[in-house]
Amino acid sequence: MATATPALTGTSASADTATTSATPGGWRRARPWAMPLIGLGVSLAFLWPYLVMLLGAFRPSSDVVQTPASVLPRVWKWTTFPEVLGDERFLAWLRTSVVVALASTAIVVVVAIPAAYFTARFRFRGRMAFLFLVLVTQMFSPTSLVVGIYREFFTVNLVNTYLALILTNAAFNLAFAIWILHGFFASIPRELEEASELDGCGRVGTLWRVMLPLTLPGLVTATIFTFIAAWNEYVVALTLMLDDSRKPLTVGINSYVTGYEQNWDQLFGASLIAIVPVVILFALIEKHLVGGLTSGAVK
Amino acid sequence: MSSKRHLPATGLLAGTTAVVLGLAACSGGTGAGSAGGGGGGGSSATKGATTIKLVAAEYSKNHTKAFWDQFAQAYKSKTGNTLQVQIVSWDDIDQQSSTMVQNNNPPDILNLNAYASYAKDGLLYSADEVLSDTVKSDLLDAFVKSGSYQGKMYGMPDLSSARAMFYNKTLFQKAGISAPPKTWAEFQADATKIAGLGNGAIGYGLPLGPEESQGEFSIWMFNNGGDWKKDGKWTINSPENVETLTFLKSLATKKLTQNNPGKTNRQDAFDLFASGKVGMVVGFSPLAGKLDADKKVQYGVAPMPTKADGGTPQTFGVTDYLMAFKKKGNQDAVKAFYDLYYQKDQVNSFIKAEGFLPVTKSGIQEFSGDPKLKTYLETLPNAHLTPTDDPTWDKVKLAVQQNLGTAITGDPKAVLDKLQKSAEAGG
Amino acid sequence: MALLWLAPALLLILGVVVWPAVELVRASLARFSITGLNKGSAGLDNYRNVLANESLGTVLANTVVWVVAVVALTILISLGLAQFLTKDFWGRRFVRWAVIVPWAASLVITARLFSLIYSYYYGTLNAVLLKLHLVHTPVDFLGNDRWIMPSMVAVGVFVSIPFTAYVFVAGLNAIPTDVYEAARIDGASPWKIWRLITLPLLRPAILVATVLNMIYVFNSFPIIYTLNESNPGFAHDTTITFMYKLAFKSAEKDVGQSAAAGLFNVCLILVAVLVYLRVSRWREEES
Repeated sequence: MATATPALTGTSASADTATTSATPGGWRRARPWAMPLIGLGVSLAFLWPYLVMLLGAFRPSSDVVQTPASVLPRVWKWTTFPEVLGDERFLAWLRTSVVVALASTAIVVVVAIPAAYFTARFRFRGRMAFLFLVLVTQMFSPTSLVVGIYREFFTVNLVNTYLALILTNAAFNLAFAIWILHGFFASIPRELEEASELDGCGRVGTLWRVMLPLTLPGLVTATIFTFIAAWNEYVVALTLMLDDSRKPLTVGINSYVTGYEQNWDQLFGASLIAIVPVVILFALIEKHLVGGLTSGAVK
Repeated sequence: MSSKRHLPATGLLAGTTAVVLGLAACSGGTGAGSAGGGGGGGSSATKGATTIKLVAAEYSKNHTKAFWDQFAQAYKSKTGNTLQVQIVSWDDIDQQSSTMVQNNNPPDILNLNAYASYAKDGLLYSADEVLSDTVKSDLLDAFVKSGSYQGKMYGMPDLSSARAMFYNKTLFQKAGISAPPKTWAEFQADATKIAGLGNGAIGYGLPLGPEESQGEFSIWMFNNGGDWKKDGKWTINSPENVETLTFLKSLATKKLTQNNPGKTNRQDAFDLFASGKVGMVVGFSPLAGKLDADKKVQYGVAPMPTKADGGTPQTFGVTDYLMAFKKKGNQDAVKAFYDLYYQKDQVNSFIKAEGFLPVTKSGIQEFSGDPKLKTYLETLPNAHLTPTDDPTWDKVKLAVQQNLGTAITGDPKAVLDKLQKSAEAGG
Repeated sequence: MALLWLAPALLLILGVVVWPAVELVRASLARFSITGLNKGSAGLDNYRNVLANESLGTVLANTVVWVVAVVALTILISLGLAQFLTKDFWGRRFVRWAVIVPWAASLVITARLFSLIYSYYYGTLNAVLLKLHLVHTPVDFLGNDRWIMPSMVAVGVFVSIPFTAYVFVAGLNAIPTDVYEAARIDGASPWKIWRLITLPLLRPAILVATVLNMIYVFNSFPIIYTLNESNPGFAHDTTITFMYKLAFKSAEKDVGQSAAAGLFNVCLILVAVLVYLRVSRWREEES
């Protein structure tokens, strides 16, 4: 990828024009309606399980586990979403998820920027060691470390706090953010930076005013990535969060279906609500994301 | 562990936070999102005797937490002590409790379906230390026995359940069966008739999947004169038990059960019964509660059929436990906890809300007014339990859960031989 | 100087990743009771016991099948999907949002959802297959030994595609249009253009996507744990669920063995990634 400086090129042009013009004329006429149709097919391929889920939220739990199975509800139930949204326990879980995901994301961004910038710009002793450490971090899953994580936070008396969850999510997603941003910083021409320094900006000022705007797509990528990972984290939250009201959604909503009581409708309703914030966040910054993975990811 | 290790560790973490927050502030307040972070307060450590912690299993979303929250308040106003309540789902409670014990940070009270290993490890108070005499004498003898390890009681029962044969009256009628089966031969004949109805009808819902296969197998083995242990010796591969498992396998081979019983968990079998497709299933009172709420299936409850003609049906009973961990200074608070829990209005209203069966003599009296519970209550004092008083059972149970289902496609005797061997080797 | 810039990251990594890892090593050297009580040193017994476990061979084979199948299929499908998502057409934004949903949904929930969808008796999938007369009796996706792994792989691929596709979309967008212009003037066929231009230029993106997917898929817990829940034994477990079951669900119920297995896991994925990078000559690429 040494030839391109994609961080600067943005999202606009695609390879589209180049490839289609070589295809036969019939396709050219069919294209305006065929492509959206294929698009609909692709969308359905990714959405159908969640449509099943939506239908599951609109039928009583006993109709979900009914044999023979039916695609559409035999009995419709419209009260699931009001039930879930009126459930105080659910709202508390939702709040935890929002706080933890936002805070973890903020920490990752703030911690990754200086590390990525410095390793991209300077050769120093231990640079490779540091980058290798980051790479190795990526290999660890919280699942295998959860016992140790609990032990640590117990020692420092942080079990059952948002902070413990936030730090864990931040630490385990830091590697990806550093790698992405590292690639971005490396692709920014050094001359730009030098010019800025000549203008009298300090190193921090340069980073803040010149470099960061150029790496915005990378930041967006790291943000959405961390946010989704933190939003969906399960094992650590399960172990660390003792109070019911401090559990995040992923852990909390399992209460809807236990070995003794099944509310599939509410589980599905709650799960769908949990997807919404992520999709909204994604819709808001999708344009940047697509440009963002460009350079960072490929470096 | 030692205090020497604490200091640098705390410093390290505090350092991280400080740097993080500091940086966030410099870069224009992006760090605002972490505001909720400090809210924890880390009150989880036990501070003297006045605060104790309960880790309770979640039986149902709407009742379990509500009960314990109410209980904590009553406990506070009665004793002045604070009770921290943590509700954990059954799926996760093994991991949670293990993690806590590993870190020398067990709760004061733990609600679980096993206790003997904890007693063996010397972690628990015995009933002599934390149960008042009136409470202890009120507990049903069968449960005192199953809660006792080496002569001392450690496993205080929170609630119980007994299994019985649920049958679908509509399907029975269609198949021309007048009464629930009393023997295995009748049972098999009835199951055959129901399976013969077609249209997806299933004779018997047999769950031998890894969730609870030891329960299903227990019921059948007890009604064939078998047991897991007899006279202090493991008898998992006794001829009766091999016969029992072979019988269960034959039901599957003859297609009298649902598809793939070796890989069916209990809840799946219940769901099938609740959708009206299954003639018979071994159920317990929470299933009855669900069926009553759905009002879809006309069902009856009968004692289990026995192998021998004219045999006495055995009831399989299960209790879960509230065990108390020995910690410095918590004994009085723990004792007060049990005193309050076993008060009639507490324990029985919990059990009633969750749809289970009582664990005390006074509870049996109180519940006896409910005609639906008649079948269970009569047999409860003589309920037959699994050897929960043997710590080895805690491992054997897991081995059974993970292996019994393979007998449906494999050799029942070989499966039981292997389990017997591992039990004799100490689990 | 270096420390000042790297300190926050280092502290976070050392504090929240390395420290627990050290705890894991210590746990792997200790003897634990079934309750979790630490009963002193075990030497290397835990490692020996894990290596002696009769199911280890099956579990390792499952892991290889799982990782290779999911990653390979994910990469292939995502390549096609990314090509499509970079075309201009009406409704493209909507399609992009739709593709994100499996990524946005929690894995635990998606896994539970699929265990219902696949269900022999209640499953929507079987209902549809029966209605379309594609099958005559329901398929036991999660109980039939031949179907379990393919069913799990399908879900694994399904949830891995969104992220991967977006890496490729980004990679495709980064390819300068003038390269294509030149090729077109030379009269190259679309397939030739794709093979000789797009694919080589996409190589770094493929490399990154493959490495990250290898790690995620290897460490993926909820899908296998949930879909395989009703199957006895270790017949369909991968090393991650094997590790979990060792600690909490199997007759071993031994935290020490589980910790040892966890360390084997980390080594396995580390070696796998390094081998992959070596084979695809990551270093040459960078210099």
